[in-house]
Order: sequence, then C-alpha cells, then structure tokens
Amino acid sequence: MTDDTHALAIGLRQRDPDLLDRLIEQYQQRLFRYLLFLTGNPSLAEDLFQETWIRVLERGRQYNGKSKFDSWLFAIARNLVIDASRRKKISSLEDLGDPESNTPYDPPDERTSSVLQMLVSRENEQSVQLSLLKIPPYYREVLLLRFSEELGLEEIAAVTATPISTVKSRLYRGLAAMKTVMTEGAA
Amino acid sequence: MNDNLHERAQHLLAESVVEGLRPADETWLREHLAGCSDCAQAAAATQNVLHALRTVPVNVPRDLAARTQLRVRLRAQESAAAAGGSFWLWAVTAASWLLGVFSAPLVWRGFAWLGANFGLPKVALEFGFVLWWTVPPLLAAAIILHQKALTAEWNNKN
Repeated sequence: MTDDTHALAIGLRQRDPDLLDRLIEQYQQRLFRYLLFLTGNPSLAEDLFQETWIRVLERGRQYNGKSKFDSWLFAIARNLVIDASRRKKISSLEDLGDPESNTPYDPPDERTSSVLQMLVSRENEQSVQLSLLKIPPYYREVLLLRFSEELGLEEIAAVTATPISTVKSRLYRGLAAMKTVMTEGAA
Repeated sequence: MNDNLHERAQHLLAESVVEGLRPADETWLREHLAGCSDCAQAAAATQNVLHALRTVPVNVPRDLAARTQLRVRLRAQESAAAAGGSFWLWAVTAASWLLGVFSAPLVWRGFAWLGANFGLPKVALEFGFVLWWTVPPLLAAAIILHQKALTAEWNNKN
C-alpha cells in the first residue's frame, strides 16, 4: 500500500469533507465520461455521478487502500449503472454483465445521441463518440477503461467483476467493432 | 505472401495493444509491416482507433462538481446528526436498563402491596409485572422502526 492510498483510505474512513471535495474535482472528467458513454444519457450520467460520490461517502470505510482508488470508484459507478438499468431500461445496459446472452443491442435513439454530442467536444464529433455509441456497451466499457482511463487488465477485471480472459476477449472484439464502425463512418 | 502470415500479423496487431508483445513477435511484426502495405494500413487503422479513444473529450456540465460537493456535504451532515442521535439513544437505553435492574425489587414490592390491599390474584400481579417491563421497550422499538422506514422512503425519493 503506498502512502497516498493509505492516506486516502484513512481520509475516506473519517469521511473527510475536504478530501471528498478534492476527489470530486480531480475525478469529475474521468468519471463523468465513463458514466456518459456507459449510459448514453447525459442527465442519467449526472444523477449517477452524484450518487457515486454519495456511495463513496457512505462506503468509504470499505476502501482499504490496497487497490487503486480509481478502480474502486469505477466499480461503484458501474454497480449504480447496473442498478439504474434494472429500474429503467437504458440502451440495453441490463445486458452489460452478460454479453454472451446474444440479446440484440439497441443503439441510443437520435435524441439522446444529439444531446450527447453537445457534451462531447466538436473536435472529433463525427468519429469517436458516434462510433463508441454504435458498439455494444460491454465492449464500449472495456475500451474506455483500457484506453481512455488507462487501467490495467487486472484492474478492469476488478471493476467489471469478470475474469481477465473475458476482459481480453471483450477488448479484442471491441477493437474490431470500433475499427469496423470507424471505417464505415469514414467511407 | 502467405495468408497465414497476414493472419498472424493481424492477430499480433491486436495483441500488441491489448496485452503487449514478446520482443521476438514485436520484431517479426515490425518487419512484416515494413513489407506489407495491407497490414500496415490495418496497423494505421488500429492506431487511429487508439488515438481516438485516448483523446475522446467530454465537456463536464459546469456546475456538476459544485452541486455534487454540496450534496455530499449535506449527506455527511445528516449522517453525522443521525450518528449523534443514535449515541444518545444507546446511552438512554443503557441507563434505562440499569435503572430497571436496580429498581426491580422495589417494583415487585409495589405490585405485592397492590395485591395485598386490593385482593388481586397472583397471576394478575405477575402479568402486570411482565407488562411493566415489556411495553415500554416494545413501544420504543416500534417508534424507531417507523422512523427508519420514513428515512428510507425519504432517501429513495431524493
């Protein structure tokens, strides 16, 4: 356990409000991006963003400092997304934990996509985010965790509560799906 | 060039970004890409995808962090108040229990006096004695459970 994670674990156990303020500032971009691309719904992503930090406050004592804080944070956020998808169907996220179920994937509707585009910088508007939205969420999730958030395979396995072999297979399939979608988009 | 070589190159390309390659495979892939334009194009497409994923920018709503910080602080205050409340609840319960234990002989003597003066049967006195001890804690437990149910309902709504 490093000094940083140890100090973080102690601060979370004590529910240190200043520490939580700093963490919210520090992780806002990464966490919101993760939630936004996982749900495909900006307003739901905002709600879940806030709910995630409430959970961090309430369950802070469960963070032991042995794992990276971001993995723990993303795992909390992911569980909330799954809970939300159980309450209300959002972009077939109920299948997030079971990509082998062969349930067809429903891409987000046009209205949601257009709201999403407003939140995504216009620089890559025609490529990345649209391509990401066109691939199934369980591939989208591992691609974001691996290449945007730069988590290791073991960390992704911990966040998604799946074996490393499954993470790898989703990464391979997700990359192939992204390549196909981006190539089609460019054509 | 043999199809198997292209397949191997494609496989190694994906492996290089997901798991990393052994030095020997890396050298082989580099040499293959230098001489094969199709595979080099596939490698460029993979790099394009990676670059896109690494640079995907999202504009976080301007006041989201501030709103979240406020909500977290409010919840922390509520939890602290609830924790303080439960401390006093436990303290009062403990004091009540001690008082009950030490006052039991006096209460029993009081019931015996009532029985002697009003001619009540022994079973009525015993029943009254049991009620004297059980009704207040059962009432308190019912109130606490009701409060918890109300708090849970409020949390779900908010």
